[in-house]
Amino acid sequence: MVAARHRAPATALVRLGETRLAHADAGALAGVRREAWRRFLETGIPTTRVEDWKYARIDALLARPFAAPGPAEPAAGTLAAAFAGGPRARRLILANGRVLAGPSHVGGLPPGMRVLSLAEAIARFPERVAEVLAEVPDPGPFTDLNTALAEDGAWIELEEGVRPEVPLQLLFVAVGEPSAVMAHPRVVVRLGAGARLHLIESHLAEGAGHVLTNLVLQVRLDEGAELVHEKLQAAEGGHALLARTSVRLATGARLRDRVATVGGDFVRNELDVRLEGEGGEALMAGLYLPRDREQVDTLVRVHHHAPRCHSDQFYKGVVEDRARAAFAGRITVHPGAQDTDAYQQNRNLLLSDEAEVDAKPELEIFADEVRCSHGATVGGLDEAALFYLRTRGIGRAAAEALLTYAFAGEVVTRFDDPELAAQLRRAILARVPGGGMLDPEGLVA
Amino acid sequence: MAMLEIENLHVTADGKEIVRGLDLAVPAGEVHAIMGPNGSGKSTLAYVLAGREDYEVTEGRVRFLGRDLLAMEPEERAAAGLFLAMQYPVEIPGVSNTYFLRQAVNALRKARGEPEMKPAEFMKRLREAARTVGIREELLRRDLNADFSGGEKKRNEILQLLVLEPAFAILDETDSGLDIDALKAVARAVNGLRGPERGFLVITHYQRLLEFIVPDRVHVMVEGRIVRSGGKELARELEERGYEPFLREAA
Repeated sequence: MVAARHRAPATALVRLGETRLAHADAGALAGVRREAWRRFLETGIPTTRVEDWKYARIDALLARPFAAPGPAEPAAGTLAAAFAGGPRARRLILANGRVLAGPSHVGGLPPGMRVLSLAEAIARFPERVAEVLAEVPDPGPFTDLNTALAEDGAWIELEEGVRPEVPLQLLFVAVGEPSAVMAHPRVVVRLGAGARLHLIESHLAEGAGHVLTNLVLQVRLDEGAELVHEKLQAAEGGHALLARTSVRLATGARLRDRVATVGGDFVRNELDVRLEGEGGEALMAGLYLPRDREQVDTLVRVHHHAPRCHSDQFYKGVVEDRARAAFAGRITVHPGAQDTDAYQQNRNLLLSDEAEVDAKPELEIFADEVRCSHGATVGGLDEAALFYLRTRGIGRAAAEALLTYAFAGEVVTRFDDPELAAQLRRAILARVPGGGMLDPEGLVA
Repeated sequence: MAMLEIENLHVTADGKEIVRGLDLAVPAGEVHAIMGPNGSGKSTLAYVLAGREDYEVTEGRVRFLGRDLLAMEPEERAAAGLFLAMQYPVEIPGVSNTYFLRQAVNALRKARGEPEMKPAEFMKRLREAARTVGIREELLRRDLNADFSGGEKKRNEILQLLVLEPAFAILDETDSGLDIDALKAVARAVNGLRGPERGFLVITHYQRLLEFIVPDRVHVMVEGRIVRSGGKELARELEERGYEPFLREAA
């Protein structure tokens, strides 16, 4: 039996999981994994009748006859095209969920900073890994699945006050294999008081296929710590991505979270932010640009547990062809979280009659002295702006492309890393109808 | 032959007739002013000439440099040399002012079969124009009209006029909301462009702008048509007597 409005996982998936668990780790970690697996089986796969999965058609995706991923070696050129963070950036590269030691570069870190593969962390301190994997709040079936089956990923720890000058990039490559494969990478980020990290997360694909990446990124920011997390998802070619990011912020901690989705058959981005200490700040922005029959699902939950915190969500979407996008943003202001500032904006541009956008803002307020606002729009291009550009000699198609680019560009400007922003700009131009008519030179927004 | 010739133009919007049998001819080398009270159809005329689609031309014709203007798309009108400095310039966040203008310059050049302007040449021209109209360099890098003050937007329209160098420019209430320094800067820019090959149609409410851009002809527009035309002294007369006598005549 599974939970109401859920479906039992397909046999192939269950068999794969059982096999993996049978010869898994010992000790506490084995216990945590079995418990997560039991919860996963008990809950099952959510159907579209579950509110948070209303627009996510994942049935077909998860019914595939998954095989265990084989060794995957993406070409050096594939990887280099996605490098970001500057020439001195440190980089961990994962192919179908497994760290590739060869092309990765995480040496020469400042004292007090530790970057390991998760496999290595498990080998070295399994008890601690077990404890940390179990602490993701409100996990849900796919985080449970990840906890049960995660073999590799990254373990990133910065001690108090450590502030590396260069970004750390996590590069996830989906490498197409003959059969459908599932990867469950797990990334743990822990920043001590006053530490700061610029984390770049890139997703790309090499070759068509059905790689389903079920990624969990869990972050803890101690007092005054600061994380800039910038994510670019560009895994075209039949692949899917379920990405859960969970961030807990202590007093005065700050998060800047950026995400752009410009490729992927099905992409689900869940962001769960918990402001647990006074004066915390979470600034979130995102862009999704699905085309053809792609689907992008965004679910943001922000919990204000402590007073005087500030959260801001700014998400935009450009939806073409027969693509679908959904945005659900929930702000919960818990009792005692006085003086909360919480904002949310979701703007969508529909470029085709057959495209679909579902926007669902939600506010739950249980405290006084709260400043909250939310707004969602879905519309086409602004006719007045089109006319303006055309009166200056820019033809209709180019004007439409420019306005579409500009709409998306408002999110691009919020990315800090210039290389990542440049990759994103190129991806947008490649996706926007008529984008090829625009001169990329000088299009800096 | 005049550069711009309007004959018996009738325009409706949302079923209401706004321009009602307007005749006007502006020869090359001249600056004509249209003055009129609010709601007389001045801005509608400007938009119709630039090709905005929200209006329906029910009667009449407009020839621009001998061509049927109303049959042309807005971008074709621009390529033919027509420019409209808008009363309410549109904000376009996400596109930098400089990028936009370079795209416009090169789109016009392409439409005319000319090669693209070299980036260095473009930047030189842009900076010169910015100096002339008193626009800070920082505004050139900012998003087009986004978070510009009202005055900055108007100056930015004139900046575009200077960079695009159209054969014919319509200024739709460019003076509204401008202080005296901005007004002088706009006038300086326009006067610098005046020449035997170029025409201007300056639409305004007040006579003040016309003290700095001295027109060759002044037309009074009331309830969708030109009710009186005269020399530059007509502007002063309007300033003294107001539109009241013309409104009575029209009634």
